[in-house]
Amino acid sequence: MPPETSTSSAGGKEGSSGPSSKKNSKKPKYSKFSQQELPAWKPILTPGWVISIFAFTGIIFIPIGLASLYASEKVVELPFQYDQKCIPSEYSNNAEAYIKSTTTNKTCTATFKVEKTMKSPIYVYYQLTNYFQNHRRYVKSKSEDQLRQKSAEEDTDDCKPEARTPDGQPIVPCGLIAWSLFNDTYKIKVKGKHLKISKKNIAWQSDQTKKFGSDVYPKNFQAGGLIGGAKLNESIPLSGQEDLIVWMRTAALSTFRKLYGKIETDLEANEELSLVIENNYNTYSFGGKKTLVLSTATWIGGKNDFLGLAYIFIGGLSLFFAVCFLLMYLFKPRPLGDPSYLSWNRNPGMIK
Amino acid sequence: MSGWERVRTSSSSSSRSPHGMGSNAFRELPNRIPSSRTIQLGRVQPQAPGHRTVFCNDRDANLPVRFKGNSISTTKYNVFTFLPKALFEQFRRVANLYFLTISILSTTPISPVSPITNVAPLSLVLLISLMKEAFEDSKRFQNDLAVNNNLIDVLQDQKWVSMPWKRVQVGDVIRVKQDGFFPADLLCLASTNPDGVCYIETSNLDGETNLKIRKALEKTWDYLTPEKASEFKGEVQCEQPNNSLYTFTGNLIFQKQTLPLSPNQLLLRGCSLRNTEYVVGVVIFTGQETKVMMNTMNVPSKRSTLERKLDKLILALFATLFVMCLLGAIGSGIFVSNKYFYLRPNAGDEGSGQFNPGNRLLVITLTMFTLITLYSSIIPISLYVSIEMIKFIQCTQFINKDLRMYHSETNTPALARTSNLNEELGQVEYIFSDKTGTLTRNLMEFFKCSIGGEIYGNGITEIERGLAERNGIKIQENRSANVVQEKGFNFDDARLMRGAWRNEPNPDSCKEFFRCLAICHTVLPEGDESPEKIRYQAASPDEAALVIAAKNFGFFFYRRTPTSIYVRESHVEKMGKIQDVSYEILNVLEFNSTRKRQSVVCRHPDGRLVLYCKGADSVIYERLADGYNDIKKVTRNHLERFGSSGLRTLCLAYKELPPDLYESWNEKFIHAKSSLRDREKKLDEVAELVENGLVLIGCTAIEDKLQEGVPTTIETLQRAGIKIWVLTGDKVETAINIAYACNLINNEMKQFVISSETDVIREAEERGDQVEIAHVIKEEVKRELKNCLEEAQSCLSSLSGPKLALVIDGKCLMYALDPSLRVMLLNLSLNCHAVVCCRVSPLQKAQVTSLVKKGARKITLSIGDGANDVSMIQAAHVGVGISGLEGMQAVMASDFAIAQFRYLADLLLVHGRWSYLRICKVVTYFFYKNLTFTLIQFWFTFQTGFSGQRFYDDWFQSLYNVIFTALPVIMVGLFDKDVSASLSVKYPELYMEGIRNVFFKWRVVAIWAFFSVYQSLILYYFVSTASLTAKNSAGLTFGVWDVSTLAFTCVVITVNLRFLMICNSITKWHIISVGGSILSWFIFAFIYCAIIGKGNTYFVIYDLMSTIYFYLSIIFVPVVALFGDFVYQGIQRWFFPYDYQIVQETHRHEVEGTSRARLLEIENQLTPAEARSYAISQLPREISKHTGFAFDSPGYESFFASQLGVYAPQKAWDVARRASAKTKPKVHRKNDS
Repeated sequence: MPPETSTSSAGGKEGSSGPSSKKNSKKPKYSKFSQQELPAWKPILTPGWVISIFAFTGIIFIPIGLASLYASEKVVELPFQYDQKCIPSEYSNNAEAYIKSTTTNKTCTATFKVEKTMKSPIYVYYQLTNYFQNHRRYVKSKSEDQLRQKSAEEDTDDCKPEARTPDGQPIVPCGLIAWSLFNDTYKIKVKGKHLKISKKNIAWQSDQTKKFGSDVYPKNFQAGGLIGGAKLNESIPLSGQEDLIVWMRTAALSTFRKLYGKIETDLEANEELSLVIENNYNTYSFGGKKTLVLSTATWIGGKNDFLGLAYIFIGGLSLFFAVCFLLMYLFKPRPLGDPSYLSWNRNPGMIK
Repeated sequence: MSGWERVRTSSSSSSRSPHGMGSNAFRELPNRIPSSRTIQLGRVQPQAPGHRTVFCNDRDANLPVRFKGNSISTTKYNVFTFLPKALFEQFRRVANLYFLTISILSTTPISPVSPITNVAPLSLVLLISLMKEAFEDSKRFQNDLAVNNNLIDVLQDQKWVSMPWKRVQVGDVIRVKQDGFFPADLLCLASTNPDGVCYIETSNLDGETNLKIRKALEKTWDYLTPEKASEFKGEVQCEQPNNSLYTFTGNLIFQKQTLPLSPNQLLLRGCSLRNTEYVVGVVIFTGQETKVMMNTMNVPSKRSTLERKLDKLILALFATLFVMCLLGAIGSGIFVSNKYFYLRPNAGDEGSGQFNPGNRLLVITLTMFTLITLYSSIIPISLYVSIEMIKFIQCTQFINKDLRMYHSETNTPALARTSNLNEELGQVEYIFSDKTGTLTRNLMEFFKCSIGGEIYGNGITEIERGLAERNGIKIQENRSANVVQEKGFNFDDARLMRGAWRNEPNPDSCKEFFRCLAICHTVLPEGDESPEKIRYQAASPDEAALVIAAKNFGFFFYRRTPTSIYVRESHVEKMGKIQDVSYEILNVLEFNSTRKRQSVVCRHPDGRLVLYCKGADSVIYERLADGYNDIKKVTRNHLERFGSSGLRTLCLAYKELPPDLYESWNEKFIHAKSSLRDREKKLDEVAELVENGLVLIGCTAIEDKLQEGVPTTIETLQRAGIKIWVLTGDKVETAINIAYACNLINNEMKQFVISSETDVIREAEERGDQVEIAHVIKEEVKRELKNCLEEAQSCLSSLSGPKLALVIDGKCLMYALDPSLRVMLLNLSLNCHAVVCCRVSPLQKAQVTSLVKKGARKITLSIGDGANDVSMIQAAHVGVGISGLEGMQAVMASDFAIAQFRYLADLLLVHGRWSYLRICKVVTYFFYKNLTFTLIQFWFTFQTGFSGQRFYDDWFQSLYNVIFTALPVIMVGLFDKDVSASLSVKYPELYMEGIRNVFFKWRVVAIWAFFSVYQSLILYYFVSTASLTAKNSAGLTFGVWDVSTLAFTCVVITVNLRFLMICNSITKWHIISVGGSILSWFIFAFIYCAIIGKGNTYFVIYDLMSTIYFYLSIIFVPVVALFGDFVYQGIQRWFFPYDYQIVQETHRHEVEGTSRARLLEIENQLTPAEARSYAISQLPREISKHTGFAFDSPGYESFFASQLGVYAPQKAWDVARRASAKTKPKVHRKNDS
């Protein structure tokens, strides 16, 4: 048999049908691909597999969940919602007027207790609700080029309506995001002593080094009639304005937390903290809540019971299903591959 | 059924149908003229206004007319039209057009996404489609190029000059040599054969392998040499180019005479010259205007049912899209408010219109458009191109290269001629099959005979063998060692061979029997006059078989002249002496379907006048002389025995004619023959006068062998829930015979026979009033149908009632297809297990097919091998052509071509089923992955104040379909196998899942949609909720792009893992594609996030990956998302298993490779035995009392009927005379042997 036909001998005897036919033979060449005989693993979802997979998932997930939960539990988090507390009682029905007024005193003080020892670094967050930083008009209202380099100062097309001053000067940083920069400020005193809230390294490195230029300085910012939020120090380049950088990494949801600063000293349990809050930012018009959060962090990040609980829940559910399937198979067994289950055997009349 | 008949019937059918190919004035004309008239010959045909005039041999004179050149182009595009035309084709697809619209929309400010999101996938899809088009077109172009550059001899300056086909022009005189193809439609001027005759083979055109005769006009016979031909100056006026293959009208104005031209002078492009040294012809039609090219255009393209259902799914997706957009838009109308001061809703810039609470209607409208662009990914743009690719590979790599469908004897692999219908093969419920050449081999073999009341022939037919073995008798077949094996002769009985018949009880009968076989026919001998080399040109293979039989019995018919038949007889009286005997043929009484017999009056050398007659038993018995009752009775028994063995029978009889009686009869005959009115009828009447008082000699039995493995295949297909209808031109009895033989009908079935051969109808027919006949038949058919239907219903209502079978003949069918009766016919036939339609015309075949296709909305498949099956093949959802001995016509019209009927099982049960399964999976998976992806976006919309903010980065979204999830779905489209090929055939019932469309029902789609919603909710809400408090270990929080990138990562992983869950078999390619897809996402993200420095997603993936939270999420989210699917699959498999799942389980320990290889061997070696054993198991239990009459093809009447076209006067006799003229020069070789 000639060599080229011997490779196809698996296809039967035809391979050797003689030299005359070989010349013009249209016989397809044998290959595993074209004969659809590629070696394959054929998993069958037998009860054994189902139960083992569920059990396996449960066994893997529960420890992960427990570990996460443990890590999350170790995080000490002190939330303090102040949006209503910081409204003087005479304005309680008219919070918007209070916050918009330039004459009212916005300073507000409060005390609260540290329940557990908090190891440094302690992160200070502000949390807003019902605030749509992910709104389409809001998200796109910035100029990435302008933020990055001085030369693109005029590039404000996306920033409308906060693109230029009425006399046509470009606003740096332009756009609604920058314009609505959060401007509440916090001071924390322990035993009468001011705690230093560090503003260094509160933004992602990538933002700071690549997205915000070190030669771009604020210009014409909040100079118009409408003031949206905080003003910027015009002598510090944008890459140094970490508050702005944090704010401009827009949040995914309408409830979000942003890093305000870091406290580099430990707080003992039962210490009284007194807060001095400059309550400037208007969330009252749309009913947004403002919360100050002090939190420590572990390997998992901040307090995030949800993740651990979810793992444990799903792990538990898997084990539950493993047991369920086990019981089902026990009480309603079906012999594997029993031909009597074939539809045409079950109701033979089906085929006319 | 003979090949001749096919052409004839197909041409007549197409002219009957209004939508048949080009029913122009020229076609209508011939049909109105009775074909028996010869008077048209001299008449100048009326010219249509748009006739063409061709000046022969005069290029200059033809120049002003600007005839088209002879180069052909089958390409769709050229360099300039490619882009616009191909793009236009692409945008005729709704999905592409939609994405074009979306792409345009996304350049406007209302779009939340950059144009790249939609443009990138669209251009990629278009690019692939265009590349495919270009590739296919370039292949066509190369073919054309090769054809156009074939060489042909053209007359120039008294010399034959070889030049490529493309340079041939209208009016050129060219020479075509033996076995050469005609480069254009030619007018035959001269041939090297005497009488200007040439033989052509038209297999390229209509699949006929029999030779046809074309004849030059007598006036032009001399123009054979280049010197002479160059003197030829004439003018041809003829019809404009048209696509009718069998008509041609024109005149040759030559030497101031007008000579009418007919199709007989026309040599069509695509045919080839045979048995003729060369011919000289004038080019009439060139290139695209040749009849064959005009015919190839406008092949109707078919779309599969599944694809049409897919359109509905796409529509449903559009509806979903609309609802989603509407919800979002209304939400946005409610949301917009001045209280969100930071959005500056009424700042008055151009973008604020959409958020201005002052005009909520505008907000809603604009947001609607925004959302449409945002959710565009719900329409799977790459679906069509993926499916196309998959189907293309399925066709070219799997179907065309399947070794199990390769027929080594004819060297034919299977051929998928279209890649549109692969999955349709998996859903076929009705098969319409031609009989001859499809179920049977169309290879007639002389098998048995009965002479003088004695049966000769030891062969055992499949049916007999089966019957015997069913009764427990083991048949020992001991064939003699020296059996003559010849095509057409499969006879084994030493008593008759080698002159041994002399010792039989009645040698005289034997002699007459053999003489009758040798003399009474219209066969033409061809080639050398020696028994080994001679070839017989016969109208039907039956006739050839009989003449071959005579040859083998020692009565070798070797020459025919106009007046005589020469037979080389091994004579009885002079032992062993061979003697050439010439019989003078005085009259030929031809066969036609009313006479069902054929007679020849001849004068023996000793002066005796003998009439030999052969025909159907019914007509012969009526005309037998009184007496000889024993022989009649015995022979009648033999006929029945032959009939029930599935053999085709003919009775042979003779009669000595007293000279005076003959003379008086012959006068009448000549008178009738020369009459101009009702000649045929008069001839029949005259024949009736002499064909009586016959003496029965015996009968012949011819076997029409079944194709290999037909009964097995039919049984397998029936088990698969497929109903098989046989549509045949044969007589009722023959058809039933074959139906028994191939397992379609058995005696346990209840048979309904609706035949026009009832007394009532016959009486009406004898009265001859057409209107009355029609009325009577219709009433009869109606009554029969009603009765049958009632019976059928009572049968069906009883649980164990018998299976039903319906046999109906063409005439009744014609009336049953009437709109008023059609419903009844459909109801009846759909309840029948098997249906046999006999005596149907090609048109009726198509009508029956479309009755089921349209009336019952079932998926139909037609299979056939000849030109008469073309209409049926085109009418059915899937047309399958048998590419075997019969040529290409059916194949040309078909969607799939296979070499043998038995390969149908593989084609349907393996390839069809797999393709269906795969395409279903591809479609539903596409649906799922896009829906999930888009729903996540939808949920996000709710949390962005319905602003239409995009969730995914532009590039992520645009590459989702075309890169990150593209490959795996191709894998499932190519490699998924629920059960192996061998098990697919072993459990044909699995096929029913396709017929019931189990895998692409709305229920299936709904389940996918449900899990899609579930998964998207999990994916979105888990990722977003958990991210609220998610920070890295340095306390930094996530922004929107971090969350979306995380979600995107989870979606890619989930969707790819979900893919693995739909696979029945996982090859390394699955793993590679899934792993590769996920990996490609990460690689892309790494590069993309690092390079695009200013983008939102800059560095996002690195930031994400620096958190533990990311890893916890990408483990957790896909698991939870797939949790539901997993539970569902577990429960479904355990409690509601599909059939294929049970089969998988049963055979879970088998290694597929070996079992399949073994099966492959079995398939190749043992099939005949297997087939036999199946034949045995399915035999009728009682002997049916019918005889199979051989010459029942309607086309038998006239040998060259098919090519007569308008003029149709030639009878076999004329042909015989013409053909014999050719042998004249060889007369001296009389005693060579």
